[in-house]
Amino acid sequence: MRRGVVVRLVVVGIAASAVALCVALFIPWLPTPASREADRIDFVFWFVSGISIAIFGLVAAVILIAVVRFRARPDDDSDGPPIHGHTGLEIVWTAVPAVLVTAISVVSAVALAQNDSLPRKHLTVDVLAQQFYWSFSYPKYHNLTSNVLRLPVNEAVQLRITARKNDVIHSFWVPQFRQKQDAVPGLVRTIVITPDRTGTWAVICTELCGLGHALMRARVVVMKKAAFAAWVGATPKQTGGGKAVFVNNGCSSCHTFKPAGASATIGPDLDKLPAEARKAGQPLEQFVRESIVHPNAYIEPHYPPNLMPQTFGSLPKSQLDALVRFLIGKGK
Amino acid sequence: MTELAAGAPHEAHTAKPPPRGWRRLTAPGWLRVPWTTALAFGIGAGLMVLVRWAEGWHPIWKGSVLTTIELTAAPIGFLVGIGAFDYWGRYAIGSPTQPEDHSGHGARSWRDYFRVNTDHKVIGVQYVVTTIFFFVAAGLLAMFMRAELARPGMQFFDNQTYNGLFSVHAALMIFLFVIPAFAGLANFVIPLMIGAPDMAFPRLNALSYWLLPIAGTMMLSSFLVPGGAFASGWTGYAPLASTHQPLGSVFFNMGVQWAGASSIMTALNFLVTIITMRAPGMTFWRMPLLVWANFTTSLLVVIATPFIAGSQFFVMFDRVLHTHFFDPTQHGYVLGYQHIFWFYSHPAVYIMMLPGFGIASEVISVMARKPIFGYRLMALSLMAILVLGFSVWAHHMFVSGMAPWLRVPMMVTSVVIAVPTGIKVFSWLATIWEGRIHFTTPMLFALGFVSMFVIGGLSGIYLAAVPIDIHVSDTYFVVAHIHYVLFGGSLFTIFAGIYYWFPKMTGRMYSERLGKLHFWMTFIGFNLTFFPMHWLGIQGMPRRVADYAPRFAGLNLFISIASFALGASTVVFLYNMLVSWVRGKPAPANPWRALTLEWQVSSPPPIFNFDEIPQVVGNPYEYGVPGARHAIFNGDRTTELEEARAP
Repeated sequence: MRRGVVVRLVVVGIAASAVALCVALFIPWLPTPASREADRIDFVFWFVSGISIAIFGLVAAVILIAVVRFRARPDDDSDGPPIHGHTGLEIVWTAVPAVLVTAISVVSAVALAQNDSLPRKHLTVDVLAQQFYWSFSYPKYHNLTSNVLRLPVNEAVQLRITARKNDVIHSFWVPQFRQKQDAVPGLVRTIVITPDRTGTWAVICTELCGLGHALMRARVVVMKKAAFAAWVGATPKQTGGGKAVFVNNGCSSCHTFKPAGASATIGPDLDKLPAEARKAGQPLEQFVRESIVHPNAYIEPHYPPNLMPQTFGSLPKSQLDALVRFLIGKGK
Repeated sequence: MTELAAGAPHEAHTAKPPPRGWRRLTAPGWLRVPWTTALAFGIGAGLMVLVRWAEGWHPIWKGSVLTTIELTAAPIGFLVGIGAFDYWGRYAIGSPTQPEDHSGHGARSWRDYFRVNTDHKVIGVQYVVTTIFFFVAAGLLAMFMRAELARPGMQFFDNQTYNGLFSVHAALMIFLFVIPAFAGLANFVIPLMIGAPDMAFPRLNALSYWLLPIAGTMMLSSFLVPGGAFASGWTGYAPLASTHQPLGSVFFNMGVQWAGASSIMTALNFLVTIITMRAPGMTFWRMPLLVWANFTTSLLVVIATPFIAGSQFFVMFDRVLHTHFFDPTQHGYVLGYQHIFWFYSHPAVYIMMLPGFGIASEVISVMARKPIFGYRLMALSLMAILVLGFSVWAHHMFVSGMAPWLRVPMMVTSVVIAVPTGIKVFSWLATIWEGRIHFTTPMLFALGFVSMFVIGGLSGIYLAAVPIDIHVSDTYFVVAHIHYVLFGGSLFTIFAGIYYWFPKMTGRMYSERLGKLHFWMTFIGFNLTFFPMHWLGIQGMPRRVADYAPRFAGLNLFISIASFALGASTVVFLYNMLVSWVRGKPAPANPWRALTLEWQVSSPPPIFNFDEIPQVVGNPYEYGVPGARHAIFNGDRTTELEEARAP
């Protein structure tokens, strides 16, 4: 009779694990990996999943069998056998999980160390997160700056991630790379990514950073090495044109402005700036400049204060002038 | 229980006649509340004007400053009005205190639940009902969120409102539902379980309760403040929360203070009650596991809660006093906020779970008609979780940019918690094994808890393993995990506890049919709502967004529909509770044939719980042991009373 129960337990346990295994294997859980770091993280993921499925199967089997077999009839007032414990069993279910979690820790620590190691030959990219925009610059290429993260395939990249001191915390994440790092105001933190597939994916901000958080996205493009070199060579030196300042500082992620091809709606429509300036009772140029440097000085009705980042006052004067000229329609 | 025992000896202490005429305005109660609140409001406003005038700050009258001050001043006025300080007030100013006439004990009509009442049983019911109110409110906020998320793009709310919805949802569920709901159940049950007439500090107990409606009203009303509710998540990370948020943010900072103060006072009360007021013979190794669980929880609360109080004060000071605790432009330490916050908020996870472990142990042992398997190891694993719980906070910060070397040690301590937790789960399973399982509603919820908590615990292992956490942190995987732990874990055990002690609290039976319907609707709705979120998170949907990539549209619509079904299950619960409370079948003293002390007195219990002092003679879970007793009533008191009654 006892033997029968054990057999049943094993059978139901295997059945429950098999169901869980099907859920694990037939649903595409992980996004297609696109970096070597992702492969290591996926290994840890499946290692933990294997253990979890076994434990889940065991627990499910015990509950299912108990629920069916030990159900009391409505008129059954008897008590179960007075079993208070079993030292051997208690030692087993303390020791076995201890061994399993130790194994998980070791596997994780090894994968983490490997993912943190940076080969000597690598590309460095500075990542600046700001409300609600990403920009990437390449120190090796005269600080070439882009709003798309372009990376050569099969080359280790060190990302130096930061945010300005008067900004808030953001977080850099590309699901296909599996790597993530918060961008903390005033601190520089690094992660290593070695892309091993060409393609285009999304850079996602995962730390709540304010009203534009859900839209704080950029593109990452992994290119063949030759294509990357060509891109680096072909990109013109940064011009001081107002439109470039507008695009590179992420204005278009919140505002609508036809001359820049921007159509976002988090902030006020900049095509209507002259009307707003009249409402505020200021000359257009002064109004535009003040709205960039001190966004809370005048707030268009129906918009909350502090919506616009107060970080643009730190733009170099030449860029700020160019931006103002561009916005009032006097420059490009 | 005889009629004699049910309160007869205390008839001498009937309530004083209610005050008449203008005295009704000075007697503690709702008529005194308006003017004392107004008075305190005026004092707060006067103080602001005085200081600003003396310092020469302009303008002298400033709305945001006034609001911040009044979040402290007005609640004090309310508490004075309702009468929470009357006894201490008289004592402090040296006027004769009113000897305890016990008119504040027991509830004779529904009105007594709206007064300052020092009876732990009344306070327990006040707690549970209040927390269910905030549970429903926070649940409605979640329904609004799911409505917005049913389709990508923006439909019903703007970003500020949406961010406010999930922030207030979480803050209410954590600080005004899960933590105080457990405190409320324990408030009712623990003195009964250990054979005490009340809590050690009944007036403090009443005060702890009355802080809760203040905290909850504060958090809910932040939606009405210009600029909207606090919208930086319940975690309120600086500098977003300290310098980039509307005024509503202060409502969170102060709401947490009021709720936290309530928690700390209750925890101190539990500790003193459990340590000093156990019935003769009730040694620590004879305490029911619910008492053990609340003992460890109270230690966690007392040690950890001051940290969140500090973190929220610092954030508020950064905002209103222009300090620079977390302001990086002035050399503030941004990550410091997260360290202090999680040093509370990780132990808080156990504050929100250990009492549930206690409830599950009670229900499972009684309903399976078997002793708890490995009682001592069950109690010791609670203590192990208490100690380990303080060494794992930084596992919430693996991607935060903290010192990298901290990650592996914090991972190791985090996964080690799986060992004591595993002991508990396996012991519950061993308890039901070979039992005579009665599938009543509390048992269904307790077993539902065990199975769901296993899933939540296993996804916790994924999150503790640093490389996986780096991928899934701040995604919907985390949302799925916390709901498996807090909904599948805490909420299921709260439901189990409410159904289990409903007969004792109200003196009436609930409808078993509706209870089971509620369980199955909750169980199925819960899994359909939250299981798919694991996939969303791993695939790339971050948490705390009102808008998402179109490829997640189908699954989000599915989740929204499932969540509405889950919400509907609450209607069944509320209906069952209300109708059964009014019209349910009268409950016998011990409907579950349980051994613990609370079931050895009438339902509801006599005003002072025990008319005879119980003598504890054995363990609380001796089901199936021939002739075993947990306690005997030595009859001293009865004899005494019979003598007094003799002609």
